[in-house]
Amino acid sequence: MTTTISREQWGSRFGYLMAVVGAMVGAGNIWRMPYVTGENGGGAFLIAYFILLYLIAVPGLMGETSLGRYTRQGLLGTFRKIYGNNKFVGFGLVILVFNIVLMSYYSSIVGWSIYYTYHAVIGSFTQTQFDTAALWQAFSSNTALNVGMHTVAMLIVTVILLKGIKGGIERLAKWMMPILTVSLIAIAIRGVTLPGAMAGLEFSFSPDWEYLARGQTWLAALGQALFSTGLGWGIALTYGSYLGRDDDIPLGGGIFTAIGNTSFGLLAIFAVFPIVFAMGISPTSGAELAFVALASAFGNMSGGYIWALLFFMGFFFANLTTAIAITEVGVTTYKEELKTSRGKAVLTICGIIWLLGIPSAMNASILGYLDFVVGNWGLPLATFIIMLSIGWKFDANRLRILSLNRGADLYVPKFWESIIRFEIPAIMLFIMVYFLYSNLTATPWKTVSGLIILTLTIPLCMWIMGRRQGDAYPATSVGGQSS
Amino acid sequence: MSLTAIIVMIACIIALWGVASTALVYSMRQEERKLTLLETQKSFEPLSPRAMRDLEGWLAHHPEGEQAEEMRELLDTQQRALQDNPRHFYDWRDESAAT
Repeated sequence: MTTTISREQWGSRFGYLMAVVGAMVGAGNIWRMPYVTGENGGGAFLIAYFILLYLIAVPGLMGETSLGRYTRQGLLGTFRKIYGNNKFVGFGLVILVFNIVLMSYYSSIVGWSIYYTYHAVIGSFTQTQFDTAALWQAFSSNTALNVGMHTVAMLIVTVILLKGIKGGIERLAKWMMPILTVSLIAIAIRGVTLPGAMAGLEFSFSPDWEYLARGQTWLAALGQALFSTGLGWGIALTYGSYLGRDDDIPLGGGIFTAIGNTSFGLLAIFAVFPIVFAMGISPTSGAELAFVALASAFGNMSGGYIWALLFFMGFFFANLTTAIAITEVGVTTYKEELKTSRGKAVLTICGIIWLLGIPSAMNASILGYLDFVVGNWGLPLATFIIMLSIGWKFDANRLRILSLNRGADLYVPKFWESIIRFEIPAIMLFIMVYFLYSNLTATPWKTVSGLIILTLTIPLCMWIMGRRQGDAYPATSVGGQSS
Repeated sequence: MSLTAIIVMIACIIALWGVASTALVYSMRQEERKLTLLETQKSFEPLSPRAMRDLEGWLAHHPEGEQAEEMRELLDTQQRALQDNPRHFYDWRDESAAT
């Protein structure tokens, strides 16, 4: 029997859709996707990307969201419903740990965007002969300032999460996402009207078909499709758990989330590269693109103040909505597991993340190391665990009938089940093995130590949950019966 | 810009912004329909005709057990909504014609 728990729900369809797209649209859409596209054959990369988006990200997000809506619980509650009261609930704890570690360093990135938004507000970038490279250098080497920005970021996240799902996350996303959209559109219009801007669009869209035959193109597309959509991190599951029983999932939680998220990547291509090429800056990605190249480009444009402000404010909004979603995974789970108030759960989880985030804020190489471990293995492993649990233990067939197609605006046929059972887990395994193979010679210490940490995390989490299960919960599971 | 780059750019705009906008508008309209049904008749059927056939097929294969109870509960909700409500959320015209 399904246990229905009285819990908060999204206030409106629009609010849920904005919140879930906001959760997925982050720094990667803006500072990574334009460059990856241009570097991997432009249009050819985009074709590979679309294929993988529809084959993996859309079905995967449907599965994760519908599982959350079915169980109406956070990560551990969901895994308890699937596996019963035993050590396998530890799989949920593994994903939760990855989320908290991910957020511990992502908050530093939110902090960077707050700092640059502040500089955009005071008009630093439009000052005569302002050196953006020197600003980035000075900021990066100022430990106290980085810890301060990390603290400010976590304070903002805490305040928003304290206001709850409807009053905090939803209300924020309902105005932040439209503002982000309008900001990027405005910058894109300004960018493409600059002399020489078309070279940027040529770099991004001109298809080099040879790239379609290269494995590296497909891997880059796969990485972007998976990491950009946040599949398997528990975010879609947690947000789905606040949906009503007869709300649609396939169209909103699947197609709109994945395609809407990528639409922001496309918007970023229009907003970023025309300006980069028009200003004669060499194309790049990451912090260097946003905080050095673009900041400098805005300073040299007419009306640069407003373009810099729109860009950095939009960038901050994109990062903040993602940070809130990652943290909410821990908050929902903690609140349910310890049967405590939301306020206490928010303060505890945000406090833990703040503490764990201090080393990353103080030292960029720690941030880089954590990103390397979590990005290369942690998140693929989390996706692997969730998809196997849905496909085999819960039974994808049951989930499709009971939850996915319930109240759906779009009917999901049976072949979805084989994508969840075979295709996505196999691809995740391949990714992890490939990353191991490709990194072992280049960065042996990072690779081996990362693998050791991951290998120890799984049995440790299973041991912790195995000990906890006996006392606290009655024995029930809703594990599968294949048809 | 080269012609192929322009074609790819337009295709991307349609495939992404076109699909996302259509999905958003369609999803919002469907939600409005659901809300109208809830206001006028308190409930609507949770499953489409195809989804209901899947459910009946599952029950035919697994008639016993706790999971069958859960499925049967959903089927009861569906049948009650179809019987009690004069207006339906999904299109049942082809189903009526077939029966």
